[in-house]
Amino acid sequence: MGNVSGNTYGLTILSPIIEDNSLEICHSMELRWYLSRLPRDQGSPFAQLSSTYLARLVVMDDVVFVGLPACEEHLKSRYLVFETNFDGDLDTYLRRMATETREFVDAVWGHCAGFPGTGDVGAFVSYMKKCQVETTFFFADVNDGSVESTLEALRTQSELAHFMEKHQGTPAAELQREFGRFLERLRKTPSLPRGGDGSQDIPQERRPHD
Amino acid sequence: MTKIDVSDIQGFALKGYNFPHARYLLLELGEAQAARAFLLKLLDVITTGERWDVNKKPMSTVNIAFAYRGLIQLGLPLASLLSFPLEFQQGMRARSDILGDTGKNGPQNWDIVWRGSHVHAWLGVNARSPGALEDCCSDMMRLIAETRGARVLETQDACAISVGGKFSTQEHFGYTDGFGNPDFKGAERGYVPGQGKLDELGNWQPLATGEFLLGYADEAGELAAAPIPHLLGRNGTFMVYRKLHQNVAAYRSYLDEKGAQYAGGKEKLAAKFVGRWRDGTPLELSPDQPDAAIVADDDQNTNFTYGDDPAGTRCPLGAHIRRVHPRDSFGFNGGLVNRRRIMRRGLPYGEYIPEGQPVKDSDDRGIIFMVLNASIFRQFEFVQQQWIEYGNDAHQGNDKDLLLGNHEGRGKFVVQGTTDPKNPPFICGGLPNFVELRGGDYFFMPSLTALAMMATNSVDPR
Repeated sequence: MGNVSGNTYGLTILSPIIEDNSLEICHSMELRWYLSRLPRDQGSPFAQLSSTYLARLVVMDDVVFVGLPACEEHLKSRYLVFETNFDGDLDTYLRRMATETREFVDAVWGHCAGFPGTGDVGAFVSYMKKCQVETTFFFADVNDGSVESTLEALRTQSELAHFMEKHQGTPAAELQREFGRFLERLRKTPSLPRGGDGSQDIPQERRPHD
Repeated sequence: MTKIDVSDIQGFALKGYNFPHARYLLLELGEAQAARAFLLKLLDVITTGERWDVNKKPMSTVNIAFAYRGLIQLGLPLASLLSFPLEFQQGMRARSDILGDTGKNGPQNWDIVWRGSHVHAWLGVNARSPGALEDCCSDMMRLIAETRGARVLETQDACAISVGGKFSTQEHFGYTDGFGNPDFKGAERGYVPGQGKLDELGNWQPLATGEFLLGYADEAGELAAAPIPHLLGRNGTFMVYRKLHQNVAAYRSYLDEKGAQYAGGKEKLAAKFVGRWRDGTPLELSPDQPDAAIVADDDQNTNFTYGDDPAGTRCPLGAHIRRVHPRDSFGFNGGLVNRRRIMRRGLPYGEYIPEGQPVKDSDDRGIIFMVLNASIFRQFEFVQQQWIEYGNDAHQGNDKDLLLGNHEGRGKFVVQGTTDPKNPPFICGGLPNFVELRGGDYFFMPSLTALAMMATNSVDPR
């Protein structure tokens, strides 16, 4: 199946943008303006959806004519292209979008034809599925992990490298004791905050060498 | 075999002169007409890539390259100016974020001459003796004064380090440098295995000419972006100039501290940092001790691959030479590497302080590092961003190049090891910046034909 690679789902959605010649500023312009101001860091709405690897939103006006011998073609409308890679199944992700990032979804898809709003989650899920195209040739380079497990693994790797560096040459018995303490500390470390590996929050002296 | 017109190409672009003395004059060009008059006079003295017959080796050489602002000052037509690659138009300072030239290496900490926008041209004089250097530079100053074509903003002297009364290729940290510049088609040089690219049979072949000179096909069979008209770019190349300050005290104390902890000993750790023992012996060929016979043998000193050392237990995966010239490390017979090669030039500046003597990081010493390549974006900037300031391709995560990385005290370097007690795994943490950028820029080094066109105001982009 072209939309799934391992545990990762690669979603591609093309939503037609509303054409309304009576407006002073067209929907695609408004949408571009809104998207250009979206935060791309931990404040991104996709940071709220913790199972997201990456997401991209593009306003596509038309296909580009590249000159002969290509034939000139046009799309039936402008489209919003939405691509995202995430853990788990499609329904759950779309439901989370509608409930956890409602304001963002309404602001974006409100410019798209046929968007039912997020008030009726079921209708939103059906709408998005109707706009879905198969991703094809999708490959997720994440070793069948999840966003959470990958971030945890990276943090563990970083902490372990720091531990190894600090304890090189330590006698075996002491090293074992220290390693036990290290593991204990690692277990007690709170889960990572959504939307990042939290490295900014680790105090300087304990900050992994990133 | 690609034939190139060596008499049209600046010698600096074709070969390292191996002269021990150099002075780089950083010029602000005068009024366009005067600047052109200066270039016209220079044409007679520019050193080309022609071979030097026996006993005809000159005492000094002269080469010139222009920053984008210099080309504007010379009054090149707008259509030609706009046809230069974007990164060259922007210059190195504007590219500092993507190059990792931030913090201590950021433009705010550069030498004053590089903070402004006045360096229009680089005039490079290399010489065999101090007297020849002074003579040649006096000639240059006279040309400048006669034509009023330029003003010298600053001069940067550089000189090979003398070891045992003889000039060497050693740099301030004590490593023998300057091995293995890439071989390319048309460059008339003796065949040195290990300097070009690998073919399917594992033999070394010269790279495509277009990787280093404009107007020729590159490794993809394409022409690198070059200015119009074609003649303006052809036989020219782009040069990156970087003044790299070396914190010798920091390097030595770090190596002393970590070398005392590393079971292989200090010198072996120094070798692991770079991938060569400090005398130049490649770790791949001699992992346990330096071997002067290998260093002296051109059939061996750059003739190695990493295929038999995938875990980096001989030469660490993050060692300097393995990062910047990965050879066969990425598979595909080096196919992922051949378009990321750079030609290097350079000489140390500042006083060399032998090991064991007091040395300060604040002393003015380092290396003037210059890169020649057809595409600064594809070659130098890629190497700097991906292989120096990042470690993913080398499977080293976020780790940066130990020597050149902008670590800011948080760097880490992993020495992969074995169960051999003399070759254990080892982690170096808390890396400071051993090298700091003090300025530089991107330059265009035109052919003699292009220089003549510029000097006679006959660049015609139509």
